[in-house]
Amino acid sequence: MPTPTLTQSIVITLIQCLLVVIFVFVVVPLTVFAERKVLGHLQMRLGSTRIASGHTGLSGFLNRGMWKMGKVPVLSYWRGIPGLLADVVKLIIKEDIIPDKADRFVFFLAPSISMVAAVVVFAAISFVPGTFFTFPTWFPLVGGLPVSGGIADINVGLLWILGVATVGVYGIVLAGWSSNSKYPLLGGLRSAAQMVSYEVPLALSLLAPVVLAASLNFTEMATRMAVGMPIWALVPQVIGFLLYLTCGFAETNRLPFDMPEAENELVAGFHTEYSGMKFGLFYLAEYINMTVVSALASAFFLGGPWLLPFGLQGLLNPYLPGFLSWFGEPHAIFFVAKIIFLLFTYIWVRGTIPRYRYDQIMAVGWKYLIPLALVNLLLAAAIRCFAV
Amino acid sequence: MNKFLRTLIPTDIAKGLSVTGKHFGQVFFTANRRKVPFHIVGEYPEVPAKVQPRYRGRLTLLKDEQGEIKCVCCLACEKICPTQVITIEKGKMEGRKMPFPVRYDFEMERCIFCEFCVESCGFDSIILNHQFELAAYNREDFSLGTKGTAQNMFELSPVGKYSVAED
Repeated sequence: MPTPTLTQSIVITLIQCLLVVIFVFVVVPLTVFAERKVLGHLQMRLGSTRIASGHTGLSGFLNRGMWKMGKVPVLSYWRGIPGLLADVVKLIIKEDIIPDKADRFVFFLAPSISMVAAVVVFAAISFVPGTFFTFPTWFPLVGGLPVSGGIADINVGLLWILGVATVGVYGIVLAGWSSNSKYPLLGGLRSAAQMVSYEVPLALSLLAPVVLAASLNFTEMATRMAVGMPIWALVPQVIGFLLYLTCGFAETNRLPFDMPEAENELVAGFHTEYSGMKFGLFYLAEYINMTVVSALASAFFLGGPWLLPFGLQGLLNPYLPGFLSWFGEPHAIFFVAKIIFLLFTYIWVRGTIPRYRYDQIMAVGWKYLIPLALVNLLLAAAIRCFAV
Repeated sequence: MNKFLRTLIPTDIAKGLSVTGKHFGQVFFTANRRKVPFHIVGEYPEVPAKVQPRYRGRLTLLKDEQGEIKCVCCLACEKICPTQVITIEKGKMEGRKMPFPVRYDFEMERCIFCEFCVESCGFDSIILNHQFELAAYNREDFSLGTKGTAQNMFELSPVGKYSVAED
């Protein structure tokens, strides 16, 4: 295998970044669309079925086509999709209002902090261990070179992810403060308290895989958790998964923990004063954060790029017959499928569980999740000590 | 202790998730295929909306088997109408014993759909049909009569193709 020069590795990294950005910007709008449809289905409705528009322009043309298709007696699932395009165009061309007394620099900075903190986490997430694909030899500049599954598979990957993801709270708090308005301020304060509280059980529940796998490297952790664990490790993995998912809901400000943008108490929480693409960045950041949390959960608890969750793959692999060996190997498609399932779970939980009150959120976080995470960590340490 | 265990093991949440998950599966996998769909919302206008049989829609003149107007110009409906939207002009027709309405005008823009006219009619010659899409682009389109093709009192209005009633 040829060693890449500096230029070649920079080009390969840029291509990887591009792939990740494409992945994010495909998954996020589809999640937004799926949210409407899935929430509808959960409530025995159909969800959005047509785009709202007049008779002119592209959307009008599509609209008329749909009306003509209306002779089909039952609506199709996919008719709401053009509405996504309309949403994006609306966000971009909308007027950007800045309040008079707002701190203009911080007001401008807050959404970018949120967005950057959400996207940069993807640097340490690897979609498949080892080589993702190899460029064909005729490819200019980087022909014959392998592209690894993650952008930067650093040794402190998990620390990087947790650290950068925590910066996201600054975006929300600064947005609440700089708007110079009461509702955003309250939303930002609540968000600070909630996210600081839930950082603790989140990190503690992720410590169990760290202890079990004895590593902080993302690829190594995912590999060991999927194929290198004894059967006893199933218990801390399942408990840790539920804990992590709960804290992940709280960290991404999703229902039932949506304190920062409590729609029934604070108008829209921290982004009340935001409009246009600045609001769009908050919106994007929320969904990218969801994707990140899903990626971490599927990598550390659901077996990552392997097929079976909770370390069952490593127990099954010795008994797998030869013609099924494709299912015993890591594939990026399994990883993406798990991410998509967890994103569906986000919406599923949102459509099922009612909101918590603020003091209840704090009580659940401090009184139940942190002790449970500590017990889980103790269990993982015991298994590490005696069984591995 | 029991409460503590129930807090620790999220059985209630699992129960709720199973209910909504069942709904999701039913609607998602059968929305296009089942004759009686699981989703409880209507699909108007692609599928005609069902209205109750007692629904009071637009006033319609009925015809008998020979295709003749049943109305005999007793003027009961014109007299009882609270908003006076019915105007009848009595006339004669060759080969018909009973009087014949030369003009039967109905101003729908003032009608309150009270059904007094239908109740007062002794010959069952008018009904209120089951049509709720009564919009029109011009004000003149609300003046209905026995003449004309688009807006007469014998058929459904041109926009009203999507409402049905079971009776």
